[in-house]
Amino acid sequence: MTRERIQIFFLIAAAGGALGLPLVITSPTYLHILILLFFYAYLTTSWNLVGGFAGVLPLGHSTFVGIGAYTSTILSLQYGISPWIGMIIGGVLAAIAGVVIGMPTFKMRGAYFALATIAFAEGFRVMVENIDYLGPFFLNGPRGLQIPPLNVGLANFMFTGKSPYYYIILVMLAAVLILTYAISRSKLGYQLVAGGEEPEAAAALGINVARAKLIAMAMSSFLTALAGTFYARFTLFIHPKSAMSLDLSFEIAFIALIGGRGSIAGPVLGALLLRPVGDFSRIYFGDKLPGLHLIIFGVVLILVMIYQPRGLQEPLTRAYHRLLDRLSGKIEK
Amino acid sequence: MKLLEVKSLTKQFGGLRAVSAFDLSIEEGEIFGLIGPNGAGKSTLFNCVAGVYPPSGGDVLFSGKSISGQKPWNLCKRGLARTFQIVKPFASRSVLYNVMVGSFATTGKSAAAERKAREVLAFLHLDKKTEILAGNLTIADRKRLEIARALATEPRLLLLDEVMAGLRPTEVDEMVAIIRTIRKNGITVFVIEHIMRAIMALSDRIAVIHFGQKIAEGTPAEVASDKNVIKAYLGEEYAVS
Amino acid sequence: MITILEDTINGILMGSIYGLMALGLTVIFGVLKVINFAHGSLLMVGMYVAYWAVQLTGLHPYLALILVVPVMYLFGYYLQDIVIKPIYKAEKQVREPITVIIVTTGVWYILDNLSLLVFTPQYRSLPDNPLRGKMIEIGSMLISVPKLWGAVTAVLTAAAIYWFLQKTRMGRAIRATSLDREAASLMGIRQYSIYNITFGIGTAAAGVAGVTIVPFFNVFPTVGVLFDIKCFIIVVLGGLGSIGGAILGGIIIGIIESVGPQFMAATWTEAIVYGLFLIFLFVRPSGLFGVKYDW
Ligand SMILES: Nc1ncnc2c1ncn2[C@@H]1O[C@H](COP(=O)(O)OP(=O)(O)OP(=O)(O)O)[C@@H](O)[C@H]1O
Ligand SMILES: [Mg+2]
Repeated sequence: MTRERIQIFFLIAAAGGALGLPLVITSPTYLHILILLFFYAYLTTSWNLVGGFAGVLPLGHSTFVGIGAYTSTILSLQYGISPWIGMIIGGVLAAIAGVVIGMPTFKMRGAYFALATIAFAEGFRVMVENIDYLGPFFLNGPRGLQIPPLNVGLANFMFTGKSPYYYIILVMLAAVLILTYAISRSKLGYQLVAGGEEPEAAAALGINVARAKLIAMAMSSFLTALAGTFYARFTLFIHPKSAMSLDLSFEIAFIALIGGRGSIAGPVLGALLLRPVGDFSRIYFGDKLPGLHLIIFGVVLILVMIYQPRGLQEPLTRAYHRLLDRLSGKIEK
Repeated sequence: MKLLEVKSLTKQFGGLRAVSAFDLSIEEGEIFGLIGPNGAGKSTLFNCVAGVYPPSGGDVLFSGKSISGQKPWNLCKRGLARTFQIVKPFASRSVLYNVMVGSFATTGKSAAAERKAREVLAFLHLDKKTEILAGNLTIADRKRLEIARALATEPRLLLLDEVMAGLRPTEVDEMVAIIRTIRKNGITVFVIEHIMRAIMALSDRIAVIHFGQKIAEGTPAEVASDKNVIKAYLGEEYAVS
Repeated sequence: MITILEDTINGILMGSIYGLMALGLTVIFGVLKVINFAHGSLLMVGMYVAYWAVQLTGLHPYLALILVVPVMYLFGYYLQDIVIKPIYKAEKQVREPITVIIVTTGVWYILDNLSLLVFTPQYRSLPDNPLRGKMIEIGSMLISVPKLWGAVTAVLTAAAIYWFLQKTRMGRAIRATSLDREAASLMGIRQYSIYNITFGIGTAAAGVAGVTIVPFFNVFPTVGVLFDIKCFIIVVLGGLGSIGGAILGGIIIGIIESVGPQFMAATWTEAIVYGLFLIFLFVRPSGLFGVKYDW
């Protein structure tokens, strides 16, 4: 019982800390870094629904970020539709795209699936780069879309300071974590894990593996697209090379893999550990040692895969439980 | 009532006819044995019944209805469960988790699935090992886990593919007892086994397959004295245990 | 009409070079059953080795082969031995370890960014090499000489690897491992040393491809990215694991890229290539010549 109480205490402390951070951190640069950190934690957690639980390796998730970003931006710029509504529409479109990609590919294994997602994402990006007008919709090809900072306010998903964005992404992250937790304990979660690990055995136990994966893919792409709208409103500028880049797709996958795919804490831990490495090495070594953080990512990725294939989450969770044991032991005494 | 009927079933792999015009019928409540030398086509027959391979010819009826060409997951929901000769545990997950995957076939609720899983695990004497990772189990326990998962789907017919291979004699005896109890609980059992002592003791009837064809069928005593069977096995499997 | 013919020929030549780039990828896949995501980076490394060899000695670019082939072979050999082998050992039971794909992606990031650190993002070329800009005229058609050399090299390299796999003792051991690694190791073939050697061969092939493009193409740290997705597409088109398929797949891409711009904006040809790839992936994942794997 005390153990549980300590855990609840930790949870409240973490929540309180997260809520209070913008009051302490006044530097916009650091707040920006934090927002992006949560943004990535959100993306990797969404990715994890299919990349982690379903045991496949999607490497094109930036497509969904792009679909979300473009949908809400076009709807708000051209038709004055609230970005919040555009966010949902973008999510639905992305879910459809996810199912379209998933349907033929989930029957394949491993490498083919990874390749198909890359090809789809890159093909999609190239298309967008080539299209100025898609029917009535203005995409502006490779130049992308600029969002003028007018109509500040919650309804228009636009704010002058950074802290509102911080709270929005925090809430999104919390929501997606709770959702992941619920799924991992549900029938769908069991079906995904089983289908990812031993598809034949899963099928024999009554699981339509491809269908379970499709559901996961639809959810994952829907959630990912929501972050696309966030990204558009936060940066006020989207273009194919940022919102749909292969680099983004890979970074999402890397963070989840290093943190530990298939676990709930893994993707968040990955973002907590890797994003600051990236940001600070960019800030301090960016001009002298460009790409240093990517070398660090690569090295960490390889080491983790060799020595902790389930990700850093595993040893950290063990350490956390030991800490809990010790604390609860002390309190009982 | 006939629970499973296999009618002139054929399975062709390229030029190889692994199962050839095979007929079979299993009564509800029976323990039916299938034996045959290595590579005779036993597992292939199972796979055709369980929907892993579409048959090249013939038909399979489950409680009177044709199921040939149906997918494994649908067959499972209709009450047909199977184990794999090469066990396929979800290695990174606990024993309980593995069995819950099975019990989710009949329920959508986690609590109910867990209750069912614990029940089955107790039945298979695995209740002390619920939290062990499936990948760390011994062979004997893996075989039991395989059965536990299948039972958790609440089948009417259970296909067991060599669940005693690699077990020690005492473990074989335990497994025989377990299978008997499964039948007592109303589940029909169709079992492939190489260990003669066990399958002879267990089965009500036995069919013998050799090069994909049925060469004998009858009670264990009839099969054991069949000339064709002795020829097929000469000096081979009888030597084993 | 003539221009289409000219474009087709140049497309076939360039496409053969693409095929040569993809050759190593397909060889490695055939045996290790993994897609090496670092393949483009290996190509990049090969290009740099070739570039510096020529730049410092001033010799004919193709003489760089003498250096590039052994250097790249050893590089691939030890890359597999040190970085990738531990994964195979850890995941013995897994038939197709996704982890290996991930590790090769890590290698890609490390190599590309290391070369960015060492060589800076600068574009480098060999302006004075004897092949640069050379054309032969056939009637009114202009055929690129360095691409012709490259295409011939591609075909020769493919033939050499094919011969090696079919006719030599080592080649047979490699093929046995690719068909069934358990059975091969029962026959006394050492699986991991076969993997090392295969990876070495695949990397050396990437090196050869590097040599063929250096005479007419810029070298820069992320040059691999330009080609590696193309290589993935080619091997899937041709059939993963098939040597002839790689060359043919390369030629198909080469023709689309060089003839396509006659009919549409050049950037659209890229989209067409991706579309073709996806169609193949969905309709015929085993490619033109590939063995059907039970994906
Ligand atoms: N997927 C497949 N593709 C091609 N041939 C197969 C396939 N599965 C089985 N076979 C072949 O079919 C024949 C029958 O195999 P099967 O596994 O059914 O034998 P078995 O009776 O179960 O043998 P064992 O006692 O060794 O388990 C064998 O010759 C085998 O090589
Ligand atoms: Mg068998």
